[in-house]
Amino acid sequence: MNVLEIKNLTKKFSDFIAVDNMSLTVAEGEIFGFLGANGAGKSTTINMIAGLLRSNEGVINILGKNAAKNSRFAKMNIGMVPQDLAIYEDMTAYENVKFFAGLYGLRGQELNERVEEALEFVGLQDKHKSYPNSFSGGMKRRLNIACAIAHRPKLIIMDEPTVGIDPQSRNYILNSVRKLNEMGCTIIYTSHYMEEVEEICSRIAIIDHGKIIAEGTKEQLKSIITNTKDLWIEVKSTEKVNVESIKAINGVEAVQIDENLIKINSDTGVNNLNKIIEHFINSHLEIRSLQEKAPNLETVFLTLTGRNLRDQ
Amino acid sequence: MKDILWLIQNTLSVTFRKKKNIILYLCMPLIGIFISLLVYGGDQKAILHVGIVNQDNSEIASDTIKFLKGLENVKVVEIPNAKTKDKIISGDVDSVITFEKGYSESVLSGNPAHIQITSIKGAQITGFVKSYLYQYVDNISTISIAAAGNQQTFKQMYHDFQQTNYKLTTHSLEDTSKNKNMTNQTIGFLIMIMLMSAGNMSEIILLDKENRTYFRLLSTPINARKYLLANVSVNMIIMTIQVLITLTIMKILFNIGISMSFWQAAFVMILFSFISVGLNLVIVAFSNSRSAAGAMQNLIITPTVMISGCFWPVEVMPKTLQKIADFLPQRWTLATLTKLQEGNSFSSLSLNFMILIAFAAAFFLIAVYRFSRNNSTQNFV
Ligand SMILES: Nc1ncnc2c1ncn2[C@@H]1O[C@H](COP(=O)(O)OP(=O)(O)OP(=O)(O)O)[C@@H](O)[C@H]1O
Ligand SMILES: [Mg+2]
Repeated sequence: MNVLEIKNLTKKFSDFIAVDNMSLTVAEGEIFGFLGANGAGKSTTINMIAGLLRSNEGVINILGKNAAKNSRFAKMNIGMVPQDLAIYEDMTAYENVKFFAGLYGLRGQELNERVEEALEFVGLQDKHKSYPNSFSGGMKRRLNIACAIAHRPKLIIMDEPTVGIDPQSRNYILNSVRKLNEMGCTIIYTSHYMEEVEEICSRIAIIDHGKIIAEGTKEQLKSIITNTKDLWIEVKSTEKVNVESIKAINGVEAVQIDENLIKINSDTGVNNLNKIIEHFINSHLEIRSLQEKAPNLETVFLTLTGRNLRDQ
Repeated sequence: MKDILWLIQNTLSVTFRKKKNIILYLCMPLIGIFISLLVYGGDQKAILHVGIVNQDNSEIASDTIKFLKGLENVKVVEIPNAKTKDKIISGDVDSVITFEKGYSESVLSGNPAHIQITSIKGAQITGFVKSYLYQYVDNISTISIAAAGNQQTFKQMYHDFQQTNYKLTTHSLEDTSKNKNMTNQTIGFLIMIMLMSAGNMSEIILLDKENRTYFRLLSTPINARKYLLANVSVNMIIMTIQVLITLTIMKILFNIGISMSFWQAAFVMILFSFISVGLNLVIVAFSNSRSAAGAMQNLIITPTVMISGCFWPVEVMPKTLQKIADFLPQRWTLATLTKLQEGNSFSSLSLNFMILIAFAAAFFLIAVYRFSRNNSTQNFV
């Protein structure tokens, strides 16, 4: 059964088209990744799925039912983890989760058990009585998640749940996503972090300018670009690097600068290693190291969109 | 419905766990009572000390003095002429009434004069005695005119009048200006606190939007309409509590007799609660941040509360301001209460109630219209 079906979904903000005729299907049991740069339209899509935004065109079905016409049913089955923290500072962690769970109609003993369960799930079971203002960024993010899962939704939508947090909290969150999935939840996961999406998602959609430009398992996505490879050259200083002239070298598809690393994506069919090294020597760029990389999602993304995932 | 109740219950419990809010919402309304006690003197049975200077020495003058002595809450001492000023300044008496020579003739001729009332505490203090005294004097004048110079008739009527009058003098201060003023002061302050409380509670809407919790709420089975309804309900609950507490304490503990039925007063004030929520929803609907709403509240609430006579009687203000006050709901609320106090029957005030309801309805309509427009531009379902 399909947990989510989106057909020809379009959202305009006055003249600006944020989501452009998007169609998508997510089956039960998937962890579905939305990958896209800032402003690609991920949150807009997710907000429409969660019933927070009205679409201009298109249909959204949740568990086979039209979400616009069965909004209560849809909302009862969705747990939304918003991109921006949405928790009450003047309520304890326990009260926060209890409050939101109560809105789904849970009461009494069952409510308390579910709240306990949700807090334990995100590792905040020792923090029942603490107020969020005493929490680290990661703990707040975890509480933000707990508030969305206590009512045991079929579909959990997470909009960048790991943005700006410490690695420990991040691992915790990734593990809980896996656990939720094992327990039968279908998950839509949005992120800027390629590694995360690559690590946990069973299927991925790459979104750019409101459109899905590629969709599939990570293997499928990588196979799109196996005719290219990555060359990482570390230099002492990138000041003198001229990206355009590197791109002009035969076979080079994309060039990206990441601190002292120059990442060159190049056609496997062209042997241009000599030319590239020659260019560096001629430009008086001191090469410190040189690596050839197998393609990963980052390269897929870069080749498909010509953009970096994160703003530099 | 279940989710609305959950929202209401949660908002109330979070609100009242803060001491600051308990003080603001439950204790502040009582400050009006303390202020009016300070301004108008607390004890209803307070004794008014009146010094009498009798220069007329006629039968009518001494009967008048007897009448004053008979008034409840009034203690009369006769003082020699020369000591008038000293007595007042030293605080031995609150006011001095002088019956000058010619008093009795002027009364009998139907044109009372030669009465002097001196007081340093102002009109509120003497108002009560004055009104009774003038009433009494007017009555005797009327009798004199009716007798048309016939001594016998006058004596008879005068005698009868004295008899009935003694029965009347057990009037207490119930419906005096002092009492009216105390009620006005207390309710006026209550009105301001209610407006401020509703302002704070309505700002929760903006706070929820700023904290993004509003959007999360909309992803649950709560929708915008239910959310608004819950906020209005919380507002109404808090204001109803404020009204009941204030009226109860006025009535029982402090014994400020509001000379109208408790429930009639409560009814009027609860009508005003709707106006208060409505007005504050309009403010919130037109602001996009809490600071903007706060500024608008200050700009709207404080001046209108002052103009409409919540702190001082409207009569002391210039005519133009009084005219403006006629367009303010606070004025209509106070006026309706005054009418009730003056003994008008509840049913005769239906026009006043209609006007109060119209104010509330107008505010609610504007707010709802504006909210739905906000929502359609931002597309929140
Ligand atoms: N309420 C709105 N009014 C006008 N434009 C909007 C609104 N919300 C979003 N947009 C625009 O729509 C585009 C898509 O925004 P969206 O938030 O969906 O991007 P995103 O993929 O979630 O980006 P990020 O990774 O930064 O969260 C952006 O260009 C944004 O400026
Ligand atoms: Mg986003």
